[in-house]
Amino acid sequence: MATSLKPVDVAIIGLGAAGGVAVLPLARAGLKVAGLEAGTWMDPHRDFHADEVYNNVRRLVSSSPKAQQECPTVRATSSQQARSAGVHPMMNAIGGTSIHYWAQSWRLKPWDFHTRSESIRRYGPSSIPAGTTLEDWPLTYDELEPYYDIIEQEVGVSGKAGNIQGRIDPAGNVFEGPRQREYPMPPLRGAGFTDRMMETARKMGWKPFRPPAAINSQPYRGRAACVFHGYCSAGGCHVGAKNSTATTTIPDAVRTKNLTIFDKAHVTRIITDSNGRVTGVNYIRNRQEYFQPAKIVLVAGYTYENSRLLLLSKSKAYPNGLSNNHGQVGRHYFGHWSSNVSALLPYDINVWYGLPAQGVTVDEWADDTFDHAGLGFIGGASLHVYTERHPIEAAAMNTYGRAPVFGSAWKKFVHDNAGRVASTYLQTNTLPYETSYLDLDPEVRDPLGDPVCRITAGGVRENEQRALQHAQNKMEEWFRAAGAIEVTKPPNNGPGISTHAYGGTRMGDNPDTNVVDRWGFSHEAPNLGVLGASVMGSSGARNPTLTLQALAWRTAEHLVKNWKSLAG
Amino acid sequence: MIDRMNSRDVSRRALIQSAAFVPLAALVSSAQQTSPAALTPAQMKTLVAFIDRLIPRDELGPGAVEAGAQIYIDRVLAGPNAGEKDSFIQGLEAVDAYAKRVHGAAIAELSAEKRDQLLAELAGGSTPESQFFNRARRLTLEGMFGDPYYGGNKDFAGWDLIRYPGPRPAVAAEDQGLNVDVKPYRVSAYGVKYGH
Repeated sequence: MATSLKPVDVAIIGLGAAGGVAVLPLARAGLKVAGLEAGTWMDPHRDFHADEVYNNVRRLVSSSPKAQQECPTVRATSSQQARSAGVHPMMNAIGGTSIHYWAQSWRLKPWDFHTRSESIRRYGPSSIPAGTTLEDWPLTYDELEPYYDIIEQEVGVSGKAGNIQGRIDPAGNVFEGPRQREYPMPPLRGAGFTDRMMETARKMGWKPFRPPAAINSQPYRGRAACVFHGYCSAGGCHVGAKNSTATTTIPDAVRTKNLTIFDKAHVTRIITDSNGRVTGVNYIRNRQEYFQPAKIVLVAGYTYENSRLLLLSKSKAYPNGLSNNHGQVGRHYFGHWSSNVSALLPYDINVWYGLPAQGVTVDEWADDTFDHAGLGFIGGASLHVYTERHPIEAAAMNTYGRAPVFGSAWKKFVHDNAGRVASTYLQTNTLPYETSYLDLDPEVRDPLGDPVCRITAGGVRENEQRALQHAQNKMEEWFRAAGAIEVTKPPNNGPGISTHAYGGTRMGDNPDTNVVDRWGFSHEAPNLGVLGASVMGSSGARNPTLTLQALAWRTAEHLVKNWKSLAG
Repeated sequence: MIDRMNSRDVSRRALIQSAAFVPLAALVSSAQQTSPAALTPAQMKTLVAFIDRLIPRDELGPGAVEAGAQIYIDRVLAGPNAGEKDSFIQGLEAVDAYAKRVHGAAIAELSAEKRDQLLAELAGGSTPESQFFNRARRLTLEGMFGDPYYGGNKDFAGWDLIRYPGPRPAVAAEDQGLNVDVKPYRVSAYGVKYGH
């Protein structure tokens, strides 16, 4: 039998990007919080290195063993057999994926919150892609803006505002929604190549800008500034300039003495009573099983694990999984459609150093910034050019048919060209569809005997495919204008497993189509909340972390303000 | 000032050209002295003959063998990549059998020209021998261009070849300029005792 522990006010499952910020407003309000994290603290000196073999070949920061043993399976359509998705940066550590992420910290656009109604208004009902389950979000950009602001300040985001209360500044993103104030730090400096690309985009009549990042461009709240050493992607920051929750909100919450961290705690089930209220969480630590009673449970794992844990937590009140009496857990899942268009330039671009968040972004071809009439799709993609190239990756470059792949001719080719390849990141406004969902794999199990999550990706999406192709062509134009002699546009068949995974516990007012309400609390179990990108009903054309953090803070604040009614 | 080796550096090129006449047999015997961890001495000899033509020493500097890529490969097959050790060795033996069948001798007995011909036959194909070529090439790149801590990239030969200036504690704005030759910082991420 599980050992029953001292009850707490709130049990949070997962101290990553989402749970790691939500603990702070709860702990500041005086609530007693148990942070249950399957991983533990990482040590910047022991665990983080300027080493491609360590970070990128062996993935020793981004692939914790437990998460790999629980790796989802994936298939394109429901008629196929799912196979293990292989290595995935799902993470067990205090700080979670925010330890090794690129730290691009975007606000979504106002349009992202009502894509369905705005598309119908501007382009008519036929503009909505067939089969999508897209709904308008149950909140507006203006309602989330104060929480974006809080996260930018508390976590620390560098950037340049393009719209402060309606005042447009072309040094920032002129297409962004209005912000109440400037970023707390200036943007990361440009590199020679990103400056060249910025100048090129301006000549093309576009409005490029340096994008926001949760990276210190200058010392911030006692933490160091970025040193641009070139090992940020899939690596942790040895100087603490990457603002993971492990270096920001979690230590702040610990200092209140109201957050107790239970590390290496493998949560197996959320427990409910016969009335359908959750009573706490079962977890295993050092082979011992514990029951942590809590008045409120917040699920804050990775998107795949959030749905899996709810589906595993069956009870009398929830025979098909917790909060799944409407059959919505796992629904409206999607991975972010994205693409790397790469180019060979006829000059040394010198992007060895820096970091993926050091770059230049163009938003002309994302969201609803341009007129889509006659294009056959809604949305688009942001174009982002960046620095940081590692030597093995560089030597393994495409030879574009200009040289053999071995021998002296190859040596000459990489000697001249390994420092001349640019990568980009194009992120598409991605929508949920009926045929894309998460459930429990009927065959593959983790070491405890529990089924892993199964991803049914749903096959090709004409809307996203066209949107991404359109953006790839714009990226090629941009590269050609900068002098590129080769441009590679990979095919767009959509993601299987994704580092940007959304949905499964979607947020919305209608309990028939959504798992959580506009505040992030279950429509069925009143004292259960869900945090993370699993509540997001569309992706926007940019990285999800700042948005899921703003939503997590908002859910936590709602809990504090409505403690009596929610905690019963 | 720039002190890197590059193709425009005539005196350095002359120096390396003289090094290019080290016979393969000498390299193999030096490789054998490293007492392989995953491969037998015979397998190591075959691997060395193979990767010696993947990245040969020439006027642009040391090749894969001088950089110690075979040491990296042997170590990873004994350690983190132990799961692929058997399939790697099977692939190596299959390619050696191919060499005997098509070119009349084991890889280690073939001339440089014959080995180049063999590699050209394997590159870009989809046969099991070509799959070995791709995997051996990938591991050779990891060894030659990875941190010297792992046994390859001796004297930073790989980083010099592609003009990568090396991981350094902090990078100044001027080190990120276009067309800038950044002075190489020849230090492993794990300290000065690696790489020489």
